[in-house]
Amino acid sequence: MSSSHVPSQAALAAEAAPWPRRRRRLTWAHAFRFALPYLLIAPVLGTIGAILGYPLYHLVKISRERYGLFELIQHKGYPVGWANFSSVLHDSIFWHTLLRTVVFTVANVGLTMVLGTLIALLLVRVSSIVRVALTTGLVLVWSMPIVVAVQVWYWMTNYENGVLNYALTKLHLGDYYQHDWYATPLSQLSLVTALIVWGAVPFVVVTVYAALSQVPAELLEAAEIDGARPWRVFKDVTFPILKPIFLILTSLSIIWDFGVFTQPFLLIGQTHINTSNYLMGIYLFEEGYLKSDFGRGAAISILMLLMVAILSVVYVRKMVRMEEVR
Amino acid sequence: MTADAQIAPTPTAVEPARAAPRRRGRGRRARQTAWNLVGIAVLVLMAFPVFWMISTAFKPDDQINSLNPTWFSLHPTIAHFRDAIHRPFFWDDIKNSLIIVGVAVALSMVLAFLAAIALAKFRFTGRKLFIVLMIGIQMLPQAGLIIPLYVVLARYHQVNTLSGVIVTYMTFVLPFSVWTLRGFLIGIPRELEEAAMVDGSSRLGAFVRILLPLVAPGLVATSIFAFITSWNEYIFARILLSEGQKQTATVWLSYFTGTSRHTDWGGLMAGSTLVAIPVVIFFLLVQRKIAFGLTAGAVKA
Amino acid sequence: MKPRFVAGLVLAAALTFAVSTASARTDGPTRATASKITVWLQVDAQTGWPDLVASTNQAFQKAHPGATVDVQYQTWPDHLGKFDATLAGGNVPDVIEMGNTEMTKYMAAGAFANLSGDKSSFANSRNWLKGLADSATFNGKLYGVPYYAGSRVVTYRTDLYKKIKAKAPKSLSQFTAIAKKLRAKNGKRGFSPVYFAGTDWYFAMSFVYDYGGRIATYSRGKWHGALDSAKSRAGLAAFARFFKAASRASKTGTEDRPQPYDVYAQGQAASIVGPAWFSCCVGKKYKNVTGQFVMPGHKAGQSMPGFLGGSDLAVPNGSNDKALAKDWIRLFTNTEAEKTLQAKGNIPNATNLLGNSVNERAAKRSWFVPTAKHWVDVENGNILRTMLARINTGKNSIKEASSWASDNIALTLNRP
Repeated sequence: MSSSHVPSQAALAAEAAPWPRRRRRLTWAHAFRFALPYLLIAPVLGTIGAILGYPLYHLVKISRERYGLFELIQHKGYPVGWANFSSVLHDSIFWHTLLRTVVFTVANVGLTMVLGTLIALLLVRVSSIVRVALTTGLVLVWSMPIVVAVQVWYWMTNYENGVLNYALTKLHLGDYYQHDWYATPLSQLSLVTALIVWGAVPFVVVTVYAALSQVPAELLEAAEIDGARPWRVFKDVTFPILKPIFLILTSLSIIWDFGVFTQPFLLIGQTHINTSNYLMGIYLFEEGYLKSDFGRGAAISILMLLMVAILSVVYVRKMVRMEEVR
Repeated sequence: MTADAQIAPTPTAVEPARAAPRRRGRGRRARQTAWNLVGIAVLVLMAFPVFWMISTAFKPDDQINSLNPTWFSLHPTIAHFRDAIHRPFFWDDIKNSLIIVGVAVALSMVLAFLAAIALAKFRFTGRKLFIVLMIGIQMLPQAGLIIPLYVVLARYHQVNTLSGVIVTYMTFVLPFSVWTLRGFLIGIPRELEEAAMVDGSSRLGAFVRILLPLVAPGLVATSIFAFITSWNEYIFARILLSEGQKQTATVWLSYFTGTSRHTDWGGLMAGSTLVAIPVVIFFLLVQRKIAFGLTAGAVKA
Repeated sequence: MKPRFVAGLVLAAALTFAVSTASARTDGPTRATASKITVWLQVDAQTGWPDLVASTNQAFQKAHPGATVDVQYQTWPDHLGKFDATLAGGNVPDVIEMGNTEMTKYMAAGAFANLSGDKSSFANSRNWLKGLADSATFNGKLYGVPYYAGSRVVTYRTDLYKKIKAKAPKSLSQFTAIAKKLRAKNGKRGFSPVYFAGTDWYFAMSFVYDYGGRIATYSRGKWHGALDSAKSRAGLAAFARFFKAASRASKTGTEDRPQPYDVYAQGQAASIVGPAWFSCCVGKKYKNVTGQFVMPGHKAGQSMPGFLGGSDLAVPNGSNDKALAKDWIRLFTNTEAEKTLQAKGNIPNATNLLGNSVNERAAKRSWFVPTAKHWVDVENGNILRTMLARINTGKNSIKEASSWASDNIALTLNRP
């Protein structure tokens, strides 16, 4: 990596740069102060650039080419201008899918964040044994391979002998004997939402809980002694400190849920997937990759990137601006 | 991490606040019990699928799909575990996963922490661009990257090597880690850093010495994320690694469902239970660190 | 922590990266050695007949001293994605197992070596099963060698059939009558005399072919949807009637969820329709009261054409040593090898090897999907399943649903 010559120089300069800095006399130190942040980000940038640089270039390039299986084998696409983009943008399925995915994303992100935060706050209040048990349980949930999680969820909801139908019928909530939860798109996507929220909550809980430990105890004490209600304590003391983490979690959740593929594809099942229950991730896979139309797939990928960027722009802007450094 | 050691007995930052007002002892205890019950209820609901996975792993084949669900098998069997372990390359693939994930997480944490310091505590040209780049990368659907990424790694001769998978995982873990760590660094009050800077040490040195313990919960939360994400990653490992003894645990698991014949669900559930064990061990090792942090620093300051 | 320490961390990280890259470079795959071939087989071989693979490799190494074979097992959901990656980036396998419905797209794109000239050198090639040989042929050229096949049969409870004094039916109407009797005898809720999924298109198309219909036909350089023909519609109507009479499965459900043998193992079905290997998993309780018969057609004495699933072995064009690759295939598909596969419950690749098992008898009358480049898109788009769901739920008439599907299929198959 390019930064391999840097450390000795960095070490030298750092030694020579006592705080507060004396800019004029120490040109070495000055250069180092200027270069330091770049040196700090260089390893990350280098790694990502080395691995993702070409794929990104390739993606943009073939999005304007006819690039199918034949072209893949020949390693050469056939330029078609914006044809891939316009065919996607003129596809009514794309727009329907987009709308469905936006609604789906909002529901999933909202549920994940609210439930995750509530459980994190709960963790603070329970005794330490319950806390360790609960967090371990959550980590187990998190660490379940998706294939396995999907199968277990399918077992719970299948219409022949699912536990869900069994329990609903036993609880006299109606006759759910042989109720097919996979019959309508709404029902299918609700199951997918439950699966995704269930799988994503542990991550939010662990992160928010870790962030909660940054809330100074004195502040909470002071607020409690003042007799503030729990909601006000959360709103005025806890939330402002957690805000950066909330912003990050929310925007990441938007990004992940918008592009989610594996869970819906496996839970709804390839044999049940059709245009009435497409989500963007599935649209991309079915229209781009299953059909070996890689150029079109690249165009869809880029459009998806734009869409999710628009969807999360508010959060991202806030985040970029948050807490400007001194 | 001297700050830690001083305050180690305090499990959470918030607990002192809770412990302080002793005035309503009995009411407090009742409330604590109520919260515990809520906690247990949440645990039961959330962990039910996990329970189902483990209980299925112990069921004889006939009970796995029985019409009336069997909660616990009265005749538990360990046959599925035995079969799973005896499938080809189990130990090889677990070892590979440990190497890949261990190296990828350790390297990612170091690199991400450095970059996060730059983002949180320095102002420099291109900073915003870097932040946007980090999030932009995560917006890319992975499906489109699989083939070109294979092409790149083939050019570096990194196909069918663990190091190829390690750098691939790093590229997907790093953006998230940089971001989250930046969030945790920003959350630290300035006074604490300034206190450290007065003593004349260099800026970076002060940051690292003071920030590292303060940001420990963030590092732990991030590394759990990195660990689980890499541990469960499947498609890139599948595409990049070819030989049975060079593959990862998730690829090993995929052979259960990859057949055109019937799937051995008992074996898959047993295999998944076994594969989850390292994750739980890792979590139990690091989880205590989540709860420490600012209290320690705050008391010291 | 001193700045030096941080600098050290950066250096360590950089070094680790450099070292790991460098070290990996030396032991990376060196595909230049021509005497090594890589074979991709599906995991079915690893679990089902690993001995055959081992003995083939042994024989191969004996015939080619110094040559080595690396057999790498793949999974059905991912092997094409992995193959695509190697087509783009290198390291293509020398031999690849392909599902017979997966072949056409890759043959059309020029992924495989033309084996027409070598055809006679493969054992029993004159008598290869038509369904398999067709799947490996594109524009009159041969691109693959049939490996093995599997057909669809009826697996049934001999005890329940005995109770109503029924034997294996000889015609569809007999079968329907049996189903009605079974229903009357077994009043249990959700019990299916013949369980099959509402959108099991493999089974539904068998009815279409049995009544002389087709899915699509090729003429004048174009594909034409054929499900809207009178014969096809008669087949679809017969399927819908039989579903109503015999199966309590979900009208919109698929044959993989739940697996029919799971329903059977729970005592919820007197018979199930599907691959012959379903007998593996009928449950301890019914193991001894389970038999199989060939699905009867609507004309008495004639079996219903079944879908012939199976695998072919192909040599990708990027292979470094096609001669060795072909030789390995020769050994893996010779008469002895096919007999081993047969002993494992598969259908061997040639008619002269066929035995008298139900599985093999069913293979004699079979149908195969249209060999069109874009056929997989019809399957992946679930066009046929959607049509069947609409018919079963009464959302569309057979006429409407079949016209809709027919148009959609033609549109998909004629895509450039």
